[in-house]
Amino acid sequence: MKRGFIYLFVAALVMTQTPLVFAQAKGQPLVGAPPLLRAGKLIIATNATIPPVQFIDDRGNLKGMRIELGDEIARRMNLEPSWVNIQFEAMIPGLQGLRWDMINTGLFYTEERAKLMSLVPYELQAISVSVPKGNPHKIKSTEDMAKRVVAVEVAGYEERNIKAINQEQVSKGMAPMDIRTFNTFADCYQALKAGQVEVVVSVDATAKFYQDRGDFERAISGLKGSPASLAFKSKDLAEAVAKVLNEMKQDGTYDKLFDKYGVAKIYNWDRWTGSFKIH
Amino acid sequence: MKAWDWESFFEYLFSPYLLEGVWVTIWLTAASLLIGLVCGLIAALLRISKNPVLQMPARLYIWIWRGTPLLVQLIILYTGLPQIGIRLSVIQSALIGLGVNEGAYLSEIIRAGIMSVDRGQFNAARALGMNYRVMMRRIILPQAARIIVPELGNRFNGLLKFSSLASVISLEELMRRAQMLTQAKFRVLEIFFVASIYYLILTTIWGIAQARIEDYFERGYSQKNSGKTKRLVRAA
Repeated sequence: MKRGFIYLFVAALVMTQTPLVFAQAKGQPLVGAPPLLRAGKLIIATNATIPPVQFIDDRGNLKGMRIELGDEIARRMNLEPSWVNIQFEAMIPGLQGLRWDMINTGLFYTEERAKLMSLVPYELQAISVSVPKGNPHKIKSTEDMAKRVVAVEVAGYEERNIKAINQEQVSKGMAPMDIRTFNTFADCYQALKAGQVEVVVSVDATAKFYQDRGDFERAISGLKGSPASLAFKSKDLAEAVAKVLNEMKQDGTYDKLFDKYGVAKIYNWDRWTGSFKIH
Repeated sequence: MKAWDWESFFEYLFSPYLLEGVWVTIWLTAASLLIGLVCGLIAALLRISKNPVLQMPARLYIWIWRGTPLLVQLIILYTGLPQIGIRLSVIQSALIGLGVNEGAYLSEIIRAGIMSVDRGQFNAARALGMNYRVMMRRIILPQAARIIVPELGNRFNGLLKFSSLASVISLEELMRRAQMLTQAKFRVLEIFFVASIYYLILTTIWGIAQARIEDYFERGYSQKNSGKTKRLVRAA
């Protein structure tokens, strides 16, 4: 009787261990720690306030194009994705401070940033301008935005560019815009809904999402088209992810994902060489 | 990337852009504290009255404003109220949010100060024929101030830092300006070190001012000024 229990126990042990063995046979993680911060995990930082590419649905789940992209990258590397949802301005300091392995928040590619981190450009993004329905101030170009109250997310590419555009217009003798910075795009759109601001400067996909939903109109799009990138502190990890992205392009996953969300693929970038790599 | 860049540090330390933010923090804190003192004093006086009709609004005010987060209050004031037709500007929202919120806390501090004054002082003032206003102004509040001022220093220090919450409604104070500077060169440590220095300078200046105010209300109590008091007594 006692022996019977032992057999049962051993059988149970074997059965519970089997899936584990099987899982290991399915694939070893493609990278270890280091360069990863924690073995078996890909810690990804995002700022889930930008529908449809990265947002929290009404059940509190992370959703969107970039979330799917991050999950797929981790899956192909046999890693468990671990998401950190945090404000944009904490992203780069957090990467430098070894808080996460990868930034996946549509970080715009710039020469300055490329000197600080390993950037893998993967999507094309342009600045859009959203206005209330009916476009009450008849905004058709950035020149129409003179004197208007403009909301933009703090410390991002959009803020810098709209300020540069504004400066340029002011130096030509035009009236300045009243540019106000908010923590997130969601805050900007809330202020637009409340009538506290007249214009929101955001990105193409977001402005399109709100227009499709019928909340706001996209008055201008395609301004200052620029590549967005995944960012890494470790060059080795960046290279491994670029390799995975190339596989996704080869088997059509990349195209399918981008088409599903109506986000522009990287192919039209003037520095695109035919494959994903660190720039 | 260098570990620490002195050049950036000094550039930020004397950056007019950041100094403008410092100025916003200063006036925002000072104005909020003033609004808070006015609200707090009124609420405290209502709260200690024996009339329940006067007491209730004060209790309600303290209950609501002290019981909900400042962040929520700011967002309701700025982006919530337009829904019912009340549109406050960024500065109005920030001043009301910070000031009225502060008032709820200060009212309890002021109430504690007033209650710490000996009953005999109230009776003596009444016996001398003083009405309520004169009694409060000449007898009770100067004595209560002695108890209130040290705690006021705590609140001022807190407010100085809470004022950075106003950045959620796009007010560009010291903290927000520092954040905005990070995007250019990502010298995060240098920028926020500079911001910390400014906060420390501001709290230190307040510390000195507070010591003066405390001395003023301490006169007649402390040993330090006893000589001066004796002279005053003799002169009288």
